[in-house]
Amino acid sequence: MGRHVGIVGVGQTHHSRRRTDVSQAGLVREAVDRALADARLSMDDIDTIVVASGPVLFAAVNQPEKWVVDAIGAQGKSVVRVTSGGGAGFAGALAGYYQVAGGFSDRTLVVAYDKLSEGQLQYSISTLYDPFWGREFAVGIMGFSAAYWRARMDVLGHTEEAAAMVAAKNRNNAIDNPYAHQKKPVTVEDVLNSKPLCWPIKLLDVPPISDGAAAIVLASEKVAHHSTGRPAWIRGIAYCCEADNAAERSLMLSEPLALASRQVYRAAGITNPRRQFDVVEVQEPYSCFELNYYESLGLCPPGQAADLIASGATQRDGDIPVNPSGGCMGANPIGAVGVIRLIEAATQVMGRNETHQIKDASLALVQSGGGWANLRGCAVLSA
Amino acid sequence: MALSKVGVVSTAQTELRPAWSNAQHIDLISSVVTSVFKGTGLTIDDVDFIIDSGSDVLDGRSISNCGFLGALGAHHKEEARVEEDGLWGALYGVNKIRSGASSIGLIVAYSKPSESNVDLYWNAQVEPFYQRPVGFGQRAASGIQAQRYLAAHGIAVEDLAALVADRWAAAAANGTIAVDDVPGADAVLASGEAAAPLSHLMLARPVDGAVAVLIAREDIARRTSRNPAFITGMGTAMDTHSVAERDGLRLSSAANAAAMAYRGAGWTSADADLAEVSASSVVGELLAIEALGLAEQGRGLAGARDGKLVINRSGGALPADPIMATGLVRLAEASRQLSQPELYGGGNPRRAIVHGAGGVGMQNNCVFTLEV
Repeated sequence: MGRHVGIVGVGQTHHSRRRTDVSQAGLVREAVDRALADARLSMDDIDTIVVASGPVLFAAVNQPEKWVVDAIGAQGKSVVRVTSGGGAGFAGALAGYYQVAGGFSDRTLVVAYDKLSEGQLQYSISTLYDPFWGREFAVGIMGFSAAYWRARMDVLGHTEEAAAMVAAKNRNNAIDNPYAHQKKPVTVEDVLNSKPLCWPIKLLDVPPISDGAAAIVLASEKVAHHSTGRPAWIRGIAYCCEADNAAERSLMLSEPLALASRQVYRAAGITNPRRQFDVVEVQEPYSCFELNYYESLGLCPPGQAADLIASGATQRDGDIPVNPSGGCMGANPIGAVGVIRLIEAATQVMGRNETHQIKDASLALVQSGGGWANLRGCAVLSA
Repeated sequence: MALSKVGVVSTAQTELRPAWSNAQHIDLISSVVTSVFKGTGLTIDDVDFIIDSGSDVLDGRSISNCGFLGALGAHHKEEARVEEDGLWGALYGVNKIRSGASSIGLIVAYSKPSESNVDLYWNAQVEPFYQRPVGFGQRAASGIQAQRYLAAHGIAVEDLAALVADRWAAAAANGTIAVDDVPGADAVLASGEAAAPLSHLMLARPVDGAVAVLIAREDIARRTSRNPAFITGMGTAMDTHSVAERDGLRLSSAANAAAMAYRGAGWTSADADLAEVSASSVVGELLAIEALGLAEQGRGLAGARDGKLVINRSGGALPADPIMATGLVRLAEASRQLSQPELYGGGNPRRAIVHGAGGVGMQNNCVFTLEV
């Protein structure tokens, strides 16, 4: 087997709706500086760099890593860009993980970002669809997601109220997250009464649109101790996909997420996720997705996600807190989110989350994904 | 703990032609993904992961890999997109197998620049505030590189034309590249100014096409391939974005990438039998040849044509540059030349150098060493 890989330093920007004071490159620099300082390293100590961001159209710079390289002082180093829509950050971390695990580097910096204020988000996403038969009726990703949710309302009972509980939980959790920018107390009724955007999706089911960057330093076992006495070890990580037009595609359980979690749980020795994990961080582009993840990740049996959220178990003080950071509802710089979730989970198992440390957390689950809900991955981190 | 060794099991390539106007992206992709298994005894079910290279910008489609997952054979597998020239995708795949987490991987790269405006593709890459508005891009960078190179080494533009003609003749003989008329040196010079002092035929010609490379752990590669080439060294480096700040006479990032790859292999350019080199222009090819240590600085022209090792037997990137796939085509070409020398005039080549490049003025460089 390959070498063990740990997260030894983390950094993220204070995300906001619109950062007019910095360019994309400047935004990336902020996160990189914080991650390097956190890992007690300088750029000289880094062997390779992975840059991840959302689709080029989100911010209209083609292959932006070639511009960003100067802003982060990485000239002369190995730099590569990995992209995968909403899950780009996570896909970047996976590529970085294999650079270290496969012996190509000892220390890899993964930086992910999106500056969504500089592009037309839903227009960009609409170009995801097939140019000949899909684009005419594609309205961003919201129409697709609404249909996705609607299909699961009757069969699985993922009701408007169950999703509203997710939205309220995450929005309230985001209030004391120093990096979030959407911080308003919200009740389940507020969510249910908010403006319908594409029923059953309503305004408060949807995360904000954000500018932000996040970076992590990955290190091999050999050098991890230079940065911290307590790295967050990656016990398993996978990112699977589902061909968009597979005739047998199920909209009930996420097949790629179920596949990825099976793979990762085997590697990490997880047999009872609900009992074993101390904390979970997921990427929920709409509130309804978090319900799907509960089932696909095996936190509850299929069809019981509504009961799980209603039980309070996934609240910060529950037995399996999900998104104590507030998740995407606090900030959603899409391409960066996969790395933000990794950071939130890593700081939990390192025992140094700034504001919402789960007591004695030592095993964390991270989920991320993108595309038409057909790219899905997860990772297990441990102290 | 020893890392697994990774070999090339097989390769597949569509014809590289100016426009595949009767085929969509998925047709080109599925064609190579289907034929790469021929003769290996393996099927798509044996593949653990897919890494692909393509461009949202050239495809006119966001997250375009998402639309091609079926054609890529990626359903229910791990897939990742590395947006460069395919060789960086192969690097990712090798790391995945070396780590022990996977045994067999499929690397796919494709491009259809005929459906896009290639100058805008390059222009959209440059720094957006000061460089993009003045129209800076690949052409301007190639012209500036050429002016400096020719002036510094006292070379006339006419001297470059013969090398370009050689490359087109090699491409015509290659059998996988569409070439209507092989231009002579005179025709190269007369092809019209593209980026002074370079003529159109002195720039890499964008072509449509796809390529797939199947890689596997050593024991599997030996069982499924007659004479597999093994990847023994890999290196990459990215130069500063600012063309003005780079060393105009030396591709320093290519030199760094090569040093890293040679360290992994335990041998250097002097020990290689053949090389497949990427380029955005004929001077770009000379700069790459020199950076890889295949010729002294300023002596690339002699090295390219009459060096002791064979460079770009395939024709290289000048007659056929499927932008997002050019590096992976180089890997496929070099591994075929090592594995099946009988198809390439015989001999007993043992070692190859593979070079990929990306970015304006070849800002990013990647080098592999291959051995049989």
